[in-house]
Amino acid sequence: MSDTLLTDLHVKYIQNLGKNKDDLTYHMTAHLRMNAVYWGLTALCVMKHKDALDAEETIEYVMSCWDDEAGGFGAHPGHDAHILSTLSAVQVLAIHEALARIDVTRVVNFILGLQHPSGVFAGDQFGETDTRFLYCAVSALSLLGAIDRLDRERTVTYLASCRNFDGGFGRVAGAESHAAQVWVCTAALAILDRLDVIDVPTLGWWLAERQLPNGGLNGRPEKLEDVCYSYWVLSSMAILNKLTWIDSAALTRFILSAQDSEDGGISDRPGDMVDVFHTLFGVAGLSLLGYPGLDDLDPVYCMPASLIERMGLKKGWKALPRRL
Amino acid sequence: MVFDELLILTLNENKKNKDWSKDALSLTTQLLSTHPDIINPEFYTIWNYRRNILINGIFPISSSEEINELLNNDLAMTTKALKVHPKVYWIWNHRRWCLEHIPESSNSSNTQEWRLSTWEKELFIVERMLDADSRNFLAWDYRRYILSSMPVRRSERAELAYTTKKIEANFSNFSAWHQRTKVLSSLWASGEVDRVSSLQKEFELVQNAMFTLPEDQSAWLYHRWLIGSGDDKSILEREIKVIQTLLDEQPDSKWCMDSMVTYKLMLLNNHLPRGTRESIDITNQCLTLLAQLEELDPMRCQRYRDIGGCKVDELSSLKPSLTR
Ligand SMILES: [Zn+2]
Repeated sequence: MSDTLLTDLHVKYIQNLGKNKDDLTYHMTAHLRMNAVYWGLTALCVMKHKDALDAEETIEYVMSCWDDEAGGFGAHPGHDAHILSTLSAVQVLAIHEALARIDVTRVVNFILGLQHPSGVFAGDQFGETDTRFLYCAVSALSLLGAIDRLDRERTVTYLASCRNFDGGFGRVAGAESHAAQVWVCTAALAILDRLDVIDVPTLGWWLAERQLPNGGLNGRPEKLEDVCYSYWVLSSMAILNKLTWIDSAALTRFILSAQDSEDGGISDRPGDMVDVFHTLFGVAGLSLLGYPGLDDLDPVYCMPASLIERMGLKKGWKALPRRL
Repeated sequence: MVFDELLILTLNENKKNKDWSKDALSLTTQLLSTHPDIINPEFYTIWNYRRNILINGIFPISSSEEINELLNNDLAMTTKALKVHPKVYWIWNHRRWCLEHIPESSNSSNTQEWRLSTWEKELFIVERMLDADSRNFLAWDYRRYILSSMPVRRSERAELAYTTKKIEANFSNFSAWHQRTKVLSSLWASGEVDRVSSLQKEFELVQNAMFTLPEDQSAWLYHRWLIGSGDDKSILEREIKVIQTLLDEQPDSKWCMDSMVTYKLMLLNNHLPRGTRESIDITNQCLTLLAQLEELDPMRCQRYRDIGGCKVDELSSLKPSLTR
């Protein structure tokens, strides 16, 4: 257990991921590979070590996941296109300023083709719908400079139909509020300049009540704390300018206590196995909390803030000031 | 190694060649069912491939009896997988796809026969899943899907009774309280249940939970839903009195105090003219409670300060003779 961020260890941990391709877990996690590339790269950017992974190699990997039949990206070569991996591919290419390598028109059409009449988006041709997929669509279209092709009214109407009395949002209309879904809905509304749909005092209250006595945050009432939920809650609060409504010092201590101080990486809670997903969301949370020495993270796109600003996409969120 | 790499390679080859044969189908069965602990059920491309084989290769050469049987086999296969992986989206998703493809029965006097029995079975399975984990949000989402798509709609009163059973078994089950907000809204809107008299019963139910477990937020959240925006002055005043009784018993109850402040502010904003003796007294009571909350719940002290800050500004704008 450590009370400082073990940046060098985490960088090494991310560099070593996927090196051992004979490993069972490498195959077990193939369906998440593209997301993992995005999680690792973004964590490195926040820790100011973007160059720790070879850019050209990464770009080539992303391009090898192109599904030419569907016009989107799969999670791994040979896997079907899905909106989750397509957003990750767009994010990775944007970070490496390589969006010019893809057929933007086809990707935009793939995404737009997944919208249902209700306004929600499906993840792929088989039609499972979820506000996560709606966020993927809105974020990717925005990064690709094609947000004006989206039917905004229908999209916002669907988001509003997922809002609950507690101020939060669920996976689909009728579903219980859940921190991850709150983030995707809040961030999508931020991109669409429609935060007026949100009842800020009520949602701010619900989000603040996610913090538990040990400093960690949970994703729903009466559930356990988790580093990734800490990020979903935190980024939503940053977008609503309510980050001061929780105890940032206690949350910082909780995230730091979930580090593996021998081999690097961050887990969901202290003592558990680390993974790259929780490593990103741990580091991203610390960035929003003003942890010293980190780069700013944009909570709307979960990408480096300087890049989003250069692309002209920055919204009015507010993180805590960077400490020295 | 147990992991069957060769099987995956063969499958990928078959998929590329659009092999929609029975042999290809049994290969996907092998991969998805024989190693439920080894093969990741999140391997979504294989689920997609399986559905494509069924739609394009198998269904066209099968009778409706055979199609019904194939789909029921898939439901049985995923029931096993769900027991090991209750939170894998792809499994729930595949079940939903199966349901959407259950054909009309060949019995001309009751074409809905197969659909009816399948939906009944699904409702039974999802109840067992919720017995095992009463907060599994994917199971709740699936339950709502099943109820909304039943060939013969079940009475919503039955669902209300189900939430009563779940809540009485465990007052902390916020998922059940949430479901109750949705079911009751619908029953009130249709007029099937009289809102005014049912509201009284709901207050009794939730007060029972609040007095039993005052530190549990589930009941307080539900209470807030019942109060809504506080348009009914007599309900507000009555509930403030009830909470005062509990607060007298439990002077350190944070949820009592927080709800008290919220409801008193509703009384001020919705029902009392500004600047009267009564409204100034209530404002001062709120400020006292907020100061106590800052002490009692330091993690969220800034939220209490922000709420109090607005009220202090309002007080100081009034005539000095009226403020103390
Ligand atoms: Zn987590």
